[in-house]
Amino acid sequence: MRDIVFWLSGAALAFLVTAGAFLVLANFATAPSEKRLNPHQARGESGQGVVLILDRERLASLRSLPDQSLALVVENEGTEQLSDVNVTLSVFSENTALSDRRYYRQTLEKIPAGEAARVLFEFDLPARQEPVARPPTVNPEPSREILEIRATTPEGNSTVRTVILPP
Amino acid sequence: MLSRVGWAKRVAVLSVVAVFVVGCAHADKEVSIAPLVPAAGRVDLGLGEGTRALSSGPGYKGSPSWSPTGDRIAFTVDGYVVDRPTDSEDLRHWTTRDFIAEDTEWISEDILMILGAASPSGTEETPSSLYMARADEDPLELEKVENEVSAIAPGKGGLIFALGRGASESRLALTRGSGDVRRLYSKSIKGRVASLSLSPDGDEAVLAVRPPGDLETSVLHVFDLRKGKGREITRLDGNQEILGTPQWTGQYVYFVAGVKNTPVDRDGSEPIYEIYRVPEEGGAPEPAPSVGEDFVAASIRVSPDGERLAVIGRLNPNSPTNLYVLDPFAKDLTAVTMNEDMEIKTGPDDLAWSPGGESVAVIARGTPSTEPEVRAAPADRLLRDFYNLYEIPVGGTPR
Repeated sequence: MRDIVFWLSGAALAFLVTAGAFLVLANFATAPSEKRLNPHQARGESGQGVVLILDRERLASLRSLPDQSLALVVENEGTEQLSDVNVTLSVFSENTALSDRRYYRQTLEKIPAGEAARVLFEFDLPARQEPVARPPTVNPEPSREILEIRATTPEGNSTVRTVILPP
Repeated sequence: MLSRVGWAKRVAVLSVVAVFVVGCAHADKEVSIAPLVPAAGRVDLGLGEGTRALSSGPGYKGSPSWSPTGDRIAFTVDGYVVDRPTDSEDLRHWTTRDFIAEDTEWISEDILMILGAASPSGTEETPSSLYMARADEDPLELEKVENEVSAIAPGKGGLIFALGRGASESRLALTRGSGDVRRLYSKSIKGRVASLSLSPDGDEAVLAVRPPGDLETSVLHVFDLRKGKGREITRLDGNQEILGTPQWTGQYVYFVAGVKNTPVDRDGSEPIYEIYRVPEEGGAPEPAPSVGEDFVAASIRVSPDGERLAVIGRLNPNSPTNLYVLDPFAKDLTAVTMNEDMEIKTGPDDLAWSPGGESVAVIARGTPSTEPEVRAAPADRLLRDFYNLYEIPVGGTPR
């Protein structure tokens, strides 16, 4: 009886150890890092990556009016302090025939490793005048506004976020 | 000292716990996955296997037109005209951004004909003009071919177009690559030609005409380009209208038509259009066979061999819009896409067969959100957030 229990326990143990080994291997194989998934941090392999964090509630509160503000956080994911990180905001319409893209830029002097810095942009988000008479080839819907935010280190590492605001 | 059985039990219990801990552990924090980009080549946004993005980024795209060899595709973006090779992203501008084009057609690998104007056009007050642009010159230098043009269609080695101011009378003309009008047909057509296309042999044109005094495009004409004579082949009753361009396949002319919703009885619902056909010698229109009774059609386009129709529509008013291919000879309607999430654009000119008949270009986007959307890519690399062009293999081979 004791032998039967021993062999049954041994078989169960062997099965569980094998299954556990496969689970561990599977986790190793499918554990992607954020760096590898983000194409814009492709050059950030030296640990100099920056991450942009946006507040969705603040984005939802933006209106097509002058004097809008957008606060965002730039996080230094790397192991070294970052200096002179350029953060640009470009505001433009979904309607590419309108050529009034506007740019705003701020520079963060220092972001210690593993820490984050806050950036505040103040900008106008005016309602655009669409042509009155429009043939079918021109968008019959109101155009959406687009915010493109890019943080770039002097070494050329950059990350980008595009925000599409509903009309 | 532990017995062998007790030791085995403990090890077994510990192993089970270890497996659960390892297996259920969250190895990663949440990650943002970059959106699909056209550089990735083939994409599947629900439009089927083998679908290829032919544009990206913002802009309201329309009127795709393949070059004769299929190496390039031209289209409108927010009214202006661009083209690009199908295997790269080098966009070439044919007009300035203030130009508003209605339609584009290639007449050779180097010459693109453009219907439009430099200001809001396409109305009777500001009619469109026909322009010619050459790839070997500065493409932004357009050469005006004719004023007051209402419709164009590629023909044998040139372009057939309808011209005429107002709604009372139109005439057809032919231009070739020289930029001048090669032939002006003397026989006029009563009404305004809204759209036209050619028969499979290119000797006749079928025209959708809005009769003088009518609000809807409701008459089909056939015009013999060799004899220079036209005739009416059908006329719709009531306030039915013909949508888009009639297409000629076999012995029949196919077209999309339905009752137009008027502002008075508009209840917010979309007008329901169906595919009809009429014999080329004329007669009463009948619903196209092989298309279900509930099918809601938006646009149709005949294949280059003249034997199949690409159809954008819905199986019933509540189903999503998809691309279908209708084979009138085999009496078969095949679903090319079985998309649930993408909005396929339903404009009359928003689909085009590749010259070889292997694929169809359509324009689609994901359903727009009412909340701000955040993407981890530049705007000009985004696909499903904006209307973009896709090449969809249609399968099967021309008979």
